[in-house]
Amino acid sequence: MRAERVIALATLLGGGLFLTQALALPFGTPERPGAGFFPALVAVFACVVGLVATARAFVLTPRATAPRTIEALGPEQRNRVIVSIVLLVIFCALLPYAGYPVVACAFVALLLRWLGASWPGAVITGVLSAAVSHYLFAVLLDVPLPRGPW
Amino acid sequence: MGPLEGLVYGFSVAITPTNLLACFVGVVVGTIVGVLPGIGPVGAMALLLPSTFALDPATALIMLAGIYYGAMYGGSTTSILVNVPGEAGSVVTLLDGYQMTRQGRAGAALAIAAVGSFVAGTVGVVGIMFAASWLADVAVRFGPPEYFAITLGGMLLLSRLSSASLTHAFVLVAIGLAVGTVGMDPISALRRFTYGSVQLSQGVELVPVIMGLYGVAEVLILAEEGAVRAQIASVKLRELFPTREEWRRSAAPIARGSVVGFLTGLIPGPAAVLSTFISYALEKRVSKTPEKFGTGMVEGVAGPESANNGATAGAMVPLLSLGIPFSPATAILLGALVIHGLQPGPLMISQRPEIFWGFVASMYIGNVLLLILNLPLVGLFVSVLRLPQHVLATLVLLLCLVGAYSLSNSFLDLWILVIFGVFGYALRKLRVDPSPLVVALVLGPMMEKTLRQSLFLTRGSVVELVTRPLTAAILLVPLAALLGPPLVRLLRRRARAAEAPAA
Repeated sequence: MRAERVIALATLLGGGLFLTQALALPFGTPERPGAGFFPALVAVFACVVGLVATARAFVLTPRATAPRTIEALGPEQRNRVIVSIVLLVIFCALLPYAGYPVVACAFVALLLRWLGASWPGAVITGVLSAAVSHYLFAVLLDVPLPRGPW
Repeated sequence: MGPLEGLVYGFSVAITPTNLLACFVGVVVGTIVGVLPGIGPVGAMALLLPSTFALDPATALIMLAGIYYGAMYGGSTTSILVNVPGEAGSVVTLLDGYQMTRQGRAGAALAIAAVGSFVAGTVGVVGIMFAASWLADVAVRFGPPEYFAITLGGMLLLSRLSSASLTHAFVLVAIGLAVGTVGMDPISALRRFTYGSVQLSQGVELVPVIMGLYGVAEVLILAEEGAVRAQIASVKLRELFPTREEWRRSAAPIARGSVVGFLTGLIPGPAAVLSTFISYALEKRVSKTPEKFGTGMVEGVAGPESANNGATAGAMVPLLSLGIPFSPATAILLGALVIHGLQPGPLMISQRPEIFWGFVASMYIGNVLLLILNLPLVGLFVSVLRLPQHVLATLVLLLCLVGAYSLSNSFLDLWILVIFGVFGYALRKLRVDPSPLVVALVLGPMMEKTLRQSLFLTRGSVVELVTRPLTAAILLVPLAALLGPPLVRLLRRRARAAEAPAA
């Protein structure tokens, strides 16, 4: 039930925010709609859906709605997911500065280690996967991957 | 050019070393992807899209489509041998497929699934030849109002048919439409919601969104379990052949599944998944022993497996003839065509026949390759499952990251990938299908452009817009799908209330 309420309120809030941004754009006329016309329509649609969802989540009885609950995770499972996400964010943040080979190797090694691999296995897989992917994309496909300060 | 002439021309395009190799690579990768639980065809197509930039358009399309229908073949392998669906379109197969494995009939189940998929794929390709050409001829007469009706109707229908509740589907549609407005306005070129970012001026790329919602999200699900290996039943080659009785019982379900699948593929939504449920329900309905479904009935494998391959062919018809993708997989194919400077639609068949007919012919070839590969090499494909899950999850994440960056050498695409990956993971935990968001993101810009053009044509009159005969006819179907069920429930409730006092 709580998930439903969060979704409903987030939709209403998001729709309202989007509407304020859309109204700052030129709306035009019905004969010649401007750049803000369609975003405003979408925002109004989102607000209406948010209102309906809020009514269903807060006003209707629980039996009338199909409650969505997030499947419960154990602490170890939750930690694996959180660490995976944190490593993804660190990858994106460091890539422009440290370069692809180093960041890719560290990403794979750390993530594998966290998910249950041994250190030697994780490091070897990290080095190999960074090397192979670098060859595939930078050399074969000619993608200018960030090199960092090296 | 008639359908048969076109097909012969298409074979002349498809049977070149490059295109044959692309077809082979596509179907092998698709089968492997289908075998691996979690990494669906959409994620794989998105991952491989950057590698098709150097190929010519027909070759790129052939390879990506090979992944799509190859995954349908591969998904059934995991369902039957491991009791885990390799991809969403194989969920129903495990109900009876795994039971056949437990009875020592795994080989028969795999063979019937492969042959059923081949027959359905062939029927589907014939369907594309005729339906796409006919629809393209009709669609040449469509104007902006009709295209607006198709995009709006498609989204309404998808919202009703997706696994999400209607409210959740509409929330996702709103998010997809909103994200689609970021960047330059298609008519006035005014920058919208870019907050000074030059990269955002180009808009939000579809591929990182799809990679995130499907690829990264699935990998985060795999990461939950850490170091795990699948338990796999072994199959010997000599055990691959069904009995005569099993073939006899499979023939009609394969025929029915092929037709049901193709027709389901024409409508917006998760066609492959939907078609399997419809087919399974149909086989149970016509069976003399419906109570035995779920205990290893060969009809429960033959019908759904044919249906999901028929649906992948059917889904190509709106894409190729109208230029409108009604599913994330066909949205990727549209993305591939646009990247190569092509605009699919009713004129593509006549202006670029080598693309359309080469693609159709390659689907015939791909189906033959899959039938040849899947049976003898089933042991090899299944061995991919022996990779520890955490190693697979990590490598796929790395591929997603470098693939997303390589699209436009943009760090922004990486952040989009991660944000939508986390969002997609949350949707998975809530058991909400993300496809309404993806389709809205793809159709939104088209919807906006055609709406504004239509209002210009009708001098701002919305009534005139929706009451045009073709537009009204197109909008009638999704409106009936949306309003029909609640109306029927209301009428039933009133009928029950009217009977109650009398009782």
